[in-house]
Amino acid sequence: MRHSFRRDMIIGAIAVTALVLLPLVWPNKAFIDFTIRGASFALFATSLNLLVGYGGMVSFGHGMFFGLGAYSFGLLMQRTGMSIPAAFALTIVVTAAVALAVGAICVRLKEIYFAFLTLAFQMFLYSLVILWVPLTGGDQGLRGGIPRPSFLGIDLADQRQLYIASCVLLVGGLILMHHIVESPFGYTLRMIRDNATRAAFLGVEVFRIKLVAFVLAGIFGGIGGVIMSLFVSGAYPEFANWTMSGEAVFIVMLGGISTFFGPVVGTVILLLLNDVVTRFTEYYGLTLGAIILLFALGLRRGLTDFLLDYWRRSPWVLAAAKRGR
Amino acid sequence: MLTIERLSKSFDGIAAISDVTLEFPTGSLTAVIGPNGAGKTTLFNLISGAFKADAGRVMLDGIDLVGLARAEIVRCGIARAFQVASIFPSFTVEETLNAAVQAHRGRAAVLDRRFPLAECCERAHEVMDMLGLAKEADTLSARLSHGDQKLLDVALALVLQPRVLLLDEPTAGMGPDERWQMIERVYRLWEREKMTVVFIEHDMDIVFKIANSIRVLCYGRVLAEGTPDQIRGNADVIAAYLGTEDGANP
Amino acid sequence: MDIASLVSCFGSAACVVTQVTSGLIIGMLLFLVAAGLTLIFGVLKVINFTHGSFYMLGAYFALTIFKLSDSYVLTLFGAAFGTALVGLVFERLFMSRVYGQNMLMQLLVCYGFILIFDDVVKIVWGAEFRSMGMPALFQVPPIFVAGGVVPPFYLFLVGVTVVIGGLLWLVIERTRFGKIVRAVAHNPSMVSVLGINTGILYGMVFALGGLLAGFAGALAAPVRSLTPGMGFSILIESFIVTVIGGMGSIVGAFVGALLIGLIRTFGSVGFPLFTEGLMYLFMVLVLIAKPTGLFGKEIA
Repeated sequence: MRHSFRRDMIIGAIAVTALVLLPLVWPNKAFIDFTIRGASFALFATSLNLLVGYGGMVSFGHGMFFGLGAYSFGLLMQRTGMSIPAAFALTIVVTAAVALAVGAICVRLKEIYFAFLTLAFQMFLYSLVILWVPLTGGDQGLRGGIPRPSFLGIDLADQRQLYIASCVLLVGGLILMHHIVESPFGYTLRMIRDNATRAAFLGVEVFRIKLVAFVLAGIFGGIGGVIMSLFVSGAYPEFANWTMSGEAVFIVMLGGISTFFGPVVGTVILLLLNDVVTRFTEYYGLTLGAIILLFALGLRRGLTDFLLDYWRRSPWVLAAAKRGR
Repeated sequence: MLTIERLSKSFDGIAAISDVTLEFPTGSLTAVIGPNGAGKTTLFNLISGAFKADAGRVMLDGIDLVGLARAEIVRCGIARAFQVASIFPSFTVEETLNAAVQAHRGRAAVLDRRFPLAECCERAHEVMDMLGLAKEADTLSARLSHGDQKLLDVALALVLQPRVLLLDEPTAGMGPDERWQMIERVYRLWEREKMTVVFIEHDMDIVFKIANSIRVLCYGRVLAEGTPDQIRGNADVIAAYLGTEDGANP
Repeated sequence: MDIASLVSCFGSAACVVTQVTSGLIIGMLLFLVAAGLTLIFGVLKVINFTHGSFYMLGAYFALTIFKLSDSYVLTLFGAAFGTALVGLVFERLFMSRVYGQNMLMQLLVCYGFILIFDDVVKIVWGAEFRSMGMPALFQVPPIFVAGGVVPPFYLFLVGVTVVIGGLLWLVIERTRFGKIVRAVAHNPSMVSVLGINTGILYGMVFALGGLLAGFAGALAAPVRSLTPGMGFSILIESFIVTVIGGMGSIVGAFVGALLIGLIRTFGSVGFPLFTEGLMYLFMVLVLIAKPTGLFGKEIA
């Protein structure tokens, strides 16, 4: 199935081309901003789903990597004057190193204890951000803008070019993560999610696999943070706060955890909800809360999970399955 | 040869296995029997590394397995199936076996295409054919019948090409016909693969029909061991066990 | 960081007294909220993320009842039972529909209600800070202990909470309801063995949790300013308390709450910007050393 990666690449290339061409025929600043934010959140939420959906590890502290990505990228750009690709690469290294250290402690724990330990680590990081004013600017965040020097003829200070870069990062990140979950590693991770004890009796080194998943998820979460810091030209404590993790969990739940694209769908739903609800009503919480209840108690699962179930149960699919026998 | 030397394990001061010494010759088909609470499953848990023994050794061809991680014990060639089928609900039968071979070959962490090794898939198909699971290859494990789930559990252990196969009540929860079907499959695969098979079984008809040697545990100790004929005539066993169990008289 | 002030505080009895009393206040309020949280988790194995909102509702109920009746005793009981009713209705109508499902689904329902409760409070009581004011009974000069200031209401708050903690202990240890709660917490399959109506049991547990949180809210109303977001911060802190103490352990909740209360007050002297960081650091250390918390039972 090596060509499945090739197929992903082809679909990805088409998607990027379409996204790049779209503003040419429909120049709309709101759409461009929406997509950049969406790319950031979609990468972040999909990376969380590597843990939640594929690894069965519900992390409440995934926002720490979003914050870490945004802050380390922003700081590297502000303080060292290195080029954007170098700062990007170094940010990935930093995120991976922190994820390795935190993961080594957290992934030994199960279920709710894992969730709370990750949350505690995130809030510890958040407190550091608030505390370390000379470096992070405390509760004011990294102010004064992040320099975005051109590299290779690309100028990310230009919103259009940032849009294209975000689309490339989004699609590239999704292709990589899709490859990860469809690889032997991805299947081993699912084995652990389904039945960790049995996996261990088959020779799977559960701890190592979970740790690798945690680090990979951290890296992609960090990339989401980098896009956000480029977008807002700064980094703010909220990026590292627990609300960020909450939002990611929420997106994953809205979109669904049993399909790869669930979190992407969830991102679009949440961002649209945010924009539409705030525009039409001052009772944001009441409206959003009611919609959430509709999902949780009505559909009882994420949107793509619901559609997948619906599709599998449709008479047409059942009939096709019978013919296949 | 799998040798157990003076193995002991207690939980909260209560001895589950005390001072057990047993030998399972290479290529034997051995039944472990004994009343409930005799320590049969605990013995399997100690051999496969689910629990660590308090004292004693588990030797497989000269290597001491006590203290090794579960994954390492599996690599040494010991695989087990469970009393309650322990499977991967969201995997199809074929995916389960492919993934299991792959994990076993240490390819678990490889970022490659889904199931890259042709020989892994071959092995998976071979085992499915051997156990009659081929027709269910694309069925989700969660949707399999109880009997097929037990078969899949056995297949999971078998797919690793172990030297020793531990089967904890392979026929648990099955109807009479299903039982014999299962046990025939176990017998055929033992004949074919020439591995050491150790199984726990309550049905004495099955035990005396297929096992070529029997170990009797009682209250965590070895009560008797020998061929079916020796066990059949053993007064201790009859007194402690066979006489009290329904359908036990061969 | 201000280690010098922390050292000098420990050198002065007045400062220690002041910090310990305010630490006790925080701890007591946290205990009442965390006790309900841990009780609900113990019995239902569900984390009630709306528990902070119950505390908030209790405080706002207290505000209104006190305005209308001018009786603080009536306020305490009214707020507690009002919140208990909210807990009961919330459990029966909504939470009960997502038992046995993914933990995330329960989280989602709770999150929806957190948003709704916050907005309801905004609509009914307004978005700005409100304060109830000190009941006349406690408008007396503060007591001085070793030079430290101790407002009389603080003594009342600590006393009442200790009494409630004792009552709760009696209920859990001595009543039939408590026996069932302990049995079910120990072994969930006991529900069917004992032939208990789970609907009634779960509803009661949520009502009890609401009662405690509402009571905490009413106790906090005279000494805290009321805002629609006040449920969130106490929710996070009571999580830390339950995790440190051990999920499902009332004693653990008490010890954890006191520890967090003291860490907060002394931390604010020594590490003004890092007080929260200290709590999380402490939580990390406890979880690493003993994942099930100080008083939690080991998972078999």
